[in-house]
Amino acid sequence: MDILYKVLIDPFVQMGAAPDLLVQTVWEGLVSGVLYALIALGFVLIFKASGVFNFAQGIMVVFAGLTLVGFHEMGVPAILAVILTLGVMFLLAVSVERVVLRPLVNQPDIILFMATFGITYLLIGFGELIFGGNPKRMIAEELYLPTGSIEFQTLGGFVQLQKIDIAAAVIAAIMIAALAFFFQTTRIGRALRAVADSHKAALSVGISLNQIWVIVWFTAGIVALVTGIMWGARSDVSFALQVIALKALPVLILGGFTSVPGAIVGGLIIGIGEKIGEFYWGPLVGGGIESWLAYFIALGFLLFRPQGLFGEKIIERI
Amino acid sequence: MRAPGDGHGTTAGEVLLAVEGVSLSFGGVKAITDVSFDIRKGEIRAIIGPNGAGKTSMLNVINGFYHPQQGRIAFKGETRKRMRPYVAASQGIARTFQNVALFKGMSTIDNIMAGRTLKMKTGFFWQCLRHGPALNEEIEHRKFVEEIIDFLEIQAIRKMPVGKLPYGLQKRVELGRALAMQPDLLLLDEPMAGMNLEEKEDMSRFIIDVNNQYGTTIALIEHDMGVVMDLSDRVVVLEYGRKIADGTPAEVSADQKVIDAYLGVPH
Repeated sequence: MDILYKVLIDPFVQMGAAPDLLVQTVWEGLVSGVLYALIALGFVLIFKASGVFNFAQGIMVVFAGLTLVGFHEMGVPAILAVILTLGVMFLLAVSVERVVLRPLVNQPDIILFMATFGITYLLIGFGELIFGGNPKRMIAEELYLPTGSIEFQTLGGFVQLQKIDIAAAVIAAIMIAALAFFFQTTRIGRALRAVADSHKAALSVGISLNQIWVIVWFTAGIVALVTGIMWGARSDVSFALQVIALKALPVLILGGFTSVPGAIVGGLIIGIGEKIGEFYWGPLVGGGIESWLAYFIALGFLLFRPQGLFGEKIIERI
Repeated sequence: MRAPGDGHGTTAGEVLLAVEGVSLSFGGVKAITDVSFDIRKGEIRAIIGPNGAGKTSMLNVINGFYHPQQGRIAFKGETRKRMRPYVAASQGIARTFQNVALFKGMSTIDNIMAGRTLKMKTGFFWQCLRHGPALNEEIEHRKFVEEIIDFLEIQAIRKMPVGKLPYGLQKRVELGRALAMQPDLLLLDEPMAGMNLEEKEDMSRFIIDVNNQYGTTIALIEHDMGVVMDLSDRVVVLEYGRKIADGTPAEVSADQKVIDAYLGVPH
């Protein structure tokens, strides 16, 4: 009975007793959730348009961040460095399309998936060769990102919000809204959705798959750069980031691989669930559940709702 | 309906597409062997034959999905090299598929608008802003799409996601998407498969109207012989990947080889 009390009742008593702590925990969860959602968004973009699960999305985040910092270290002004980095991400998109996707067109998905493994390790090696293996500081101030924190008194305690986190949430929201608008209402957006739905029909109306793939990988590169800046500003830019990027997997299982809103909601659920789980239930097992709770939730979803919250249920007509 | 093969005077038109000695195989399987025929401007050309005769493969070759190992294809007098489907589309070839291939998550309007992709020219920059030229262009093309919607009598479903529509209507939307491309040559792969009599009559009417009003050249594959005989100006008959007959509906239906192919020959 004692254990049941500790698991089922005590955490909620604690939440009620110190609501300021609960708000703080939820906020922190929300912030890491936004970053998970951004990474997951990169995955969804590419998965929808080409059916490829892009294992390299995580390293693209690191690579974009390192390139940005690298340009700045060479003495390029921050804003110009962002533009140059975007150029590098565009070159990356073009070369991935030319060298990897085009020769492998019509191959089974698993081959393309393995090819993205190849891209991952190529980028790791290439990145270490150019930028070295040491973590680097993100040029947050130079990019006019706010620092410090605001505190306010509420619910009988203090809640502290980092300004950079607020900025991250706002920028992520703007970017997602812009992407949604672009996808919904323009010719290229319509072509992207068309390719996501049916390759052969898209070809028959004159949409060039090659061109769409470049656009999609470039868009994923832009998302990666934004994620790299935001995440880098909270800690550092280092190759360790790409392991955290694997958290996007449970996010995608939760949200559905083909759904942009799913990536966002899934990211937030995982982020908040993780922090709350760690804070209230973690002590019961000696802490550290933050690192596996996401996968545990994903496992539950795979058992009961494999298409995720927003994914398409695939019904095969026989 | 018209009498079979009356041809409304267009059978003598110039050759729009010429297929010469085309052979296609997949590994050891010969899908098409040395087939030649032509499609003339303004006509309705039917390709018929028993199951597995290579009709859809033929359409895929014309459309650029498959590349024949031998033979050549000339469209508008220009012999084409190895080409991709989106190039065929930009040259003015549109098509529908045997098993409807629509963008299921998108609405009827968006599906037909997708057919306008090649006609829309504003650059990426304006597209991103959806302002100025891009917005004007969007409105102009939307008008054209509304005309097609009126023409095909699908006003009621314009905002519905096509995945939810009944099969007959999906086929109609797919035709609409192909028409949105304002093609010179329209390829229809079994436009009436799986339809009931009323839907077939509607579809036949649309095909004839497209041909008459827009002067679009049409090549179609169809199993319903009644429909083929009513609609088409000339018929090419394939069997086991070879051409066994070519001519007006009256000619081919009297051809002994065609009768044998369809009814079987006693051995």
